[in-house]
Amino acid sequence: MQEQPENWEPRIIAFLCSWCSYAGADLAGVSRRRYSPNVRIVKVPCSGRVNPFYIVKSLQQGCDGVLVSGCHPGECHYSNGNYYARRRFAILKRLLEYIGLEEGRVHFSWVSASEGDKFAKVVNEVTETVRKLGPATRLVKHSPVDGVVN
Amino acid sequence: MRTTPRILSSEKIMKTIKKDKINTVLDFLIKKYQVFGPVQKDDLVVDFGRIQNGAQACLEFSNTNEPAKKLFFPQAETLFSYTGSDAAQVSELKPEKPRIIFGMRPCDAKSLSLLDAVFDGPDYKDPYYIVKRKNTTIFTLACRRPRSNCFCDSLGIGPFSKKDTDVFMADLGDRYVFEPITPGGADILNKIPGLENARPTDAERLKNLRSEAESKVARKVDLDNLPEKLARIFDHPFWDGIHQKCLGCGICTYLCPTCHCFDIVDEQKDDKGRRIRIWDSCSYPTFTLEASGHNPRATGKERMRQRLMHKFRYFVENYGEIACVGCGRCINHCPVGSDLIREIENINNLK
Amino acid sequence: MDLQTKLRQEARKLLEEKLVDVVIGYEDEGAPLRTTPCFITDPQDVDRLVWNPFCDHNLARYLTARKDKAAVVAKGCDTRAIVVLINENQIERKNVNILGMPCGGIVDRKKIYNHLKNGDVREAVLKDKVITVKGLEFTADLMVDDFLADCCLSCRHRNPVLCDVQIGENLPPLDVKDEYKKIKQLEESTSEERWEYFRKTLSKCIRCYACREACPLCYCQQCFTDQNFPAWVGKTTDISDTIVFHIMRAFHTTGRCVDCGACERSCPNNVDIRMLTKKIAKDVKELFGDEAGLQLEEKAPLSFYNEDDPQDFIK
Repeated sequence: MQEQPENWEPRIIAFLCSWCSYAGADLAGVSRRRYSPNVRIVKVPCSGRVNPFYIVKSLQQGCDGVLVSGCHPGECHYSNGNYYARRRFAILKRLLEYIGLEEGRVHFSWVSASEGDKFAKVVNEVTETVRKLGPATRLVKHSPVDGVVN
Repeated sequence: MRTTPRILSSEKIMKTIKKDKINTVLDFLIKKYQVFGPVQKDDLVVDFGRIQNGAQACLEFSNTNEPAKKLFFPQAETLFSYTGSDAAQVSELKPEKPRIIFGMRPCDAKSLSLLDAVFDGPDYKDPYYIVKRKNTTIFTLACRRPRSNCFCDSLGIGPFSKKDTDVFMADLGDRYVFEPITPGGADILNKIPGLENARPTDAERLKNLRSEAESKVARKVDLDNLPEKLARIFDHPFWDGIHQKCLGCGICTYLCPTCHCFDIVDEQKDDKGRRIRIWDSCSYPTFTLEASGHNPRATGKERMRQRLMHKFRYFVENYGEIACVGCGRCINHCPVGSDLIREIENINNLK
Repeated sequence: MDLQTKLRQEARKLLEEKLVDVVIGYEDEGAPLRTTPCFITDPQDVDRLVWNPFCDHNLARYLTARKDKAAVVAKGCDTRAIVVLINENQIERKNVNILGMPCGGIVDRKKIYNHLKNGDVREAVLKDKVITVKGLEFTADLMVDDFLADCCLSCRHRNPVLCDVQIGENLPPLDVKDEYKKIKQLEESTSEERWEYFRKTLSKCIRCYACREACPLCYCQQCFTDQNFPAWVGKTTDISDTIVFHIMRAFHTTGRCVDCGACERSCPNNVDIRMLTKKIAKDVKELFGDEAGLQLEEKAPLSFYNEDDPQDFIK
């Protein structure tokens, strides 16, 4: 683990499906549940809408962690979007960790509209895992030096 | 175009050093210059890279996988960058610490003179290229190991060519000899400690090695009437078949020492951005794709024709020389075994 | 009768009877250790066709762009790619005539160059299973089996899985001990080591896209790398851009890659591309039990689901 810069806070992007997980986040809010403020939420119609590129691109642009959350299996508003997503992410997560992305940067969860507590718990867990890993470096795009000679 | 002053042959004093001391020469140069030389990347790949100490250089090689052009015209080069929403702050082009490219083959050295015509010609001056070019001294290393697909002879270059370089080097087996070609090269050569004067017999030995190397350049191609021929066959049905097996990848153009087409892309993140020049290739459909969706070079046929026409006709019309140095990289690396020499022979044989 | 003669016979028949417009096969243009794809339309030319362990291209790559009826010379892995293309509606079964070749493996030229310490091969003659290579300063007799491509060493589908005419008898299955040995070795190393490994091999990439162009299944009309609004992946040689290009290209082959090795063989800088695609194939098999291109009408594993798919990675 690398040394963490002072005052560093993990930046985490969360792709939440609008029918379950986003509503779950809403419930956490109206129920006054405290959860870590490190996530930036992007509302998507369905976890099946999340192009794997969104995840990779977030990491490339410097996010320290990514969370994708959707409806529980069997509860998808579009009946099966989350089932497709599940297959895709199973492969993607393994691939990213295989090429050397630290385990714990990319997370997936099922959070329903009634699970405000679970949402808060997931976010806290994700934040703590990412915090332990420190700022992302691998995959992050930096401006290359001129000359290209390496 | 760059005119290279050459020193008189009477002033040329050849120097020499034992092979096991060559690292001391490099170590000396590294103190004063940024030195780039052939570096072993893996078992099969030798490429130019920055050398931090003499031991990193690999001087026993045929040719680098990638040509030397990337040291002057990098694959991706930031042209300017900016911060904030106000006017762009364009950073000034400052010459870096002077550079030496050590161990370039004569074919690659020749390619630089062709690139000069494009980037440092009378009509257009490319400051990014010129600043690097002016800042660089070239040590060519005569090629004693031409490979099966080399045909530099046919382009009037030859493995022991002393043109387009500042210092000419050759491997005599147990020693290297150095011959200054330009005053700048002579200056540097004079400062290198540990060099001895070449032996009287060395000139003769060089001559023999030269004919030996030339005999290894087995492939020849007749280019005499090619530009005129190409001008006449633009619509020939020949082009309908030639591209069939071409995959449309960028290997032949990216690995070509003279191909120089580029694209400009902008990258932005938050309030920071930059404009980058990157290599592009006429083999790609996107190279000519217009915003409307129309593509004037719609298929592989037009793209393959363009590549050959540019090298052997348009470049000749524009700059008076063929844009090929006979290094054979496009033949060696073509994934489907496309052979430039055979294509030219086929064109020569067309009625 | 040897396979090459038989192949020529079949090709002649197809062209003479006008059953196909073109036969896509391999010819020998004299370059040592290699063949080149050829497109034969005249029955008189069929004797250009060759069949030997240097027939390394996956000719299925040429099928998607065609409107005519083509016969194609295809090894086991190539027929699997054709199956995927048919299943993905890229070619019609009736428009392709598959000349299936049982394949004992093809030679990886780079392994020979490596063995010869990057020696310059000027001549190569193949007789039975021995390649006599000659350079200016050396002559060597090499056994074909010692220089087979990596993908052939772990090949479990040497015989065509689909064909119209099979040239020659089926070969017995290869005794593959561990198809994923190299992947497993890498998986067992640490995250740092793996990152270092991929950083190193992918830093050699020059983004020429030969891997993409050689791949029969990279047929997208517009590749994500060529999209600029949004620009999914930067075009620079920044290692981050290069890695993103390769992981996303590999990801796009999920459950589709047939491990023909065309990507890796086409690479001018010896990037270990198969270490990505093979890893995905391994995961697909482990997680979903699928293998690409084995039968018609099978769906790609990311285009359907089972309710009980593994989900232990989801909170």
